[in-house]
Amino acid sequence: MNELFFLPDLRGIGATLPWTALMLLAAVLAGEAVQRWLRLPRLLGWSAVGALLGPHVLGLLDRGALDAMLPLLDLALGVVLFELGQRVDPGWLRRNPWLLGTSVLESALAFAAMCAVLLALGAPPLVAAAAAAIGISTAPAVTLTLVRDLRAQGQVTERLLMLSALNTVYAVVAVGVLLSWLAREHAHDWQAAVLHPLYLIFGSLAAATAFAAATLGLLRLLGRRHDAQFFCILALVAAAVWAADALKLSMALTLLGYGVAIRILDRERLFVALSFGRVGGILLILLFAVTAARIDLGVLATGAVAGGVLVAARVAGKALGVFALAPASGLPLRKASLLALALTPMSAVALVLLHDTTRLYPQLGPSLAAIVISAVAILELLGPLLAQFALVRAGETAEPEA
Amino acid sequence: MERLAFSRSAPLTMGVELELQLVNSRDCDLTRAASDLLTLTGKQSHPGEIKPEITESMIEISTGIHTRHGPLLAELQTIRDVLLQTAARLNVGIAGGGAHPFQHWSERRIMDAPRMRQVSQLYGYLAKQFTVFGQHVHIGCADGDDALYLLHAMSRYMPHLIALSAASPYYQGVDTAFDSSRLNAVFAFPLSGRAPFVQTWDAFNDFFARMRGAGIIESMKDFYWDIRPKPEFGTIEVRVCDTPLTVERAAALAAYAQTLARWLLIERPHRISEDAYLAYTYNRFQACRFGLEGEFIDAEAGSRRSLAEEVNASLAVLAVHARELESEGALREIAAIVQGGNDARWMREQYAGSGSLPDLVWRQVERLRAGK
Repeated sequence: MNELFFLPDLRGIGATLPWTALMLLAAVLAGEAVQRWLRLPRLLGWSAVGALLGPHVLGLLDRGALDAMLPLLDLALGVVLFELGQRVDPGWLRRNPWLLGTSVLESALAFAAMCAVLLALGAPPLVAAAAAAIGISTAPAVTLTLVRDLRAQGQVTERLLMLSALNTVYAVVAVGVLLSWLAREHAHDWQAAVLHPLYLIFGSLAAATAFAAATLGLLRLLGRRHDAQFFCILALVAAAVWAADALKLSMALTLLGYGVAIRILDRERLFVALSFGRVGGILLILLFAVTAARIDLGVLATGAVAGGVLVAARVAGKALGVFALAPASGLPLRKASLLALALTPMSAVALVLLHDTTRLYPQLGPSLAAIVISAVAILELLGPLLAQFALVRAGETAEPEA
Repeated sequence: MERLAFSRSAPLTMGVELELQLVNSRDCDLTRAASDLLTLTGKQSHPGEIKPEITESMIEISTGIHTRHGPLLAELQTIRDVLLQTAARLNVGIAGGGAHPFQHWSERRIMDAPRMRQVSQLYGYLAKQFTVFGQHVHIGCADGDDALYLLHAMSRYMPHLIALSAASPYYQGVDTAFDSSRLNAVFAFPLSGRAPFVQTWDAFNDFFARMRGAGIIESMKDFYWDIRPKPEFGTIEVRVCDTPLTVERAAALAAYAQTLARWLLIERPHRISEDAYLAYTYNRFQACRFGLEGEFIDAEAGSRRSLAEEVNASLAVLAVHARELESEGALREIAAIVQGGNDARWMREQYAGSGSLPDLVWRQVERLRAGK
């Protein structure tokens, strides 16, 4: 028997390393380094570490490890969408209808532009339409993380949050409608084609309202204690994510709606406007790292051109929409151009929508994935850079820490 | 060295400046919105002025020159409505009150303008902590000597105006126990407090020249006194009031000050002297801390009574002047404040009901809009 039996046996230790924790550690360090030395958004560091450790580069995190983190990822995205919903003030759209107009126009023009260029490149109509529908959404996680990190306040910031909440809703609805069209083509079933999007929209909204009402009931019992509220909300957000999945509703719509409904229903301001603080921060880091890890940069070989064109058309469409109604909605042109730039990010929600689409209709899979993933890969770096540039140039960020 | 010339202005005219809070509709914290608001209001025509202040979370409105309470009130209401309309498009809430109940000063952003940056550099955290919101009332004077007489005679009534306008009981998230906590932030500045006891414009100019010669000040702007002469306007500027929760109350306070000025200038009821300042800081503290329940000591008369009684006594002697200035309505509002309590009391009642400071701020926003 070995006399030093108490020493650890290091052979084969790699299999037991806590990869999630190590990735978190590396991501945090990279985030701080990127922020401190390059003055770039922290989330770029998180994404870079994810991409590096992921199956497509170093392979330290394999597909199995990533899949094991999926529930956590859904929760992270749920938290982001809930918080975004809760930051958006529906009353603003009533007081400034041109803002609603801006949102519809920028989404419609971006959709049309993306569709047109993909068709011109010879993509099948359905693929073009699906990719364009997915591209409507501005990444909520990126905008919210940047706004919080930079402590940004002002018109570009507020409108960015409002527009990304709304265009995420449009994207979900557009993809839902598209999928039901597909269903009609394949099953010749008109009922499903009509009922599916309706179920998706109204079912999600009903679930959102039910959760909001239940939450406020609980909060009335709890009172205003901040930490109690926080745990209560986190648990309920997790439950809502689960419910959306179990009921085959749209997770994005349900969670966004949940946040908005809380705000509308909370007439007594029971709900201390809270951010998810440190726990939410960990979820966000994982969200960005794992999202980046899952992107196979190999698709750029086949999809780079289509993806790049999609990105360009998307930026142009959104910019045109924002510019057209900027004067009417009370935004000076300089800030309008910055807002248009800030709308560029595209990330986790796009991948979720892609996943939903290809799961139901695998025949769309490869060609659609090549385009969307290429676009996301390009914007993974470009999006946050442009958005941060826009917020800083708009003069809406807090003064840099001395 | 160049001497300050005191511009002539019509005696007993008045003008009002109000600093207002810009809050977001989500958590009701102060928000950076002044530049965005000003860009839009700059394109509209409206009476008076809408101007930036030291931080992005603050905006100042000011009226033109008025002789009567009615038109002053109408102008303030028009400016308020223009501002509210614009703010609605930008989803910004506008509130009165002397301080934001729970904002953290480290989050404030200084306006991007040379004068503001200079002040910020000199005063450091004081500049940001100075995110407090006041009402300034200008009273026109025929000449510099009159202005200094009025300044010293009016100083007896600063506690009255403090107690009537007090609207900053909460600061940095706590009940300060003061009715006006805002003035405590003003005290931190080196040249705050009362003006020196000089009685003629010549003597004031000597004082000013010595201060500037010694390098203590550069201009009149460096004095943060409770009342200071404003020679380029030909006025004295009363600066002790918290911004009330409504522009209606702001107009009433201005008319009260105007009526006091007429009585003081015409009847000269008090002999002004350095001794009259004996109880000044004591009375001022009482007014800040206890509002209308505070104690007022008249050192020369050797009397002491509550500020509520003091204000009522002043209203009695002002009646005849109010008739001349058509400010009876305004004085009735002042009497109603004494009866029903100042804004600080209203704010404490609201908070006691809801237990939420954000909710309180939103009620302030609604109250400015409703005007009641």
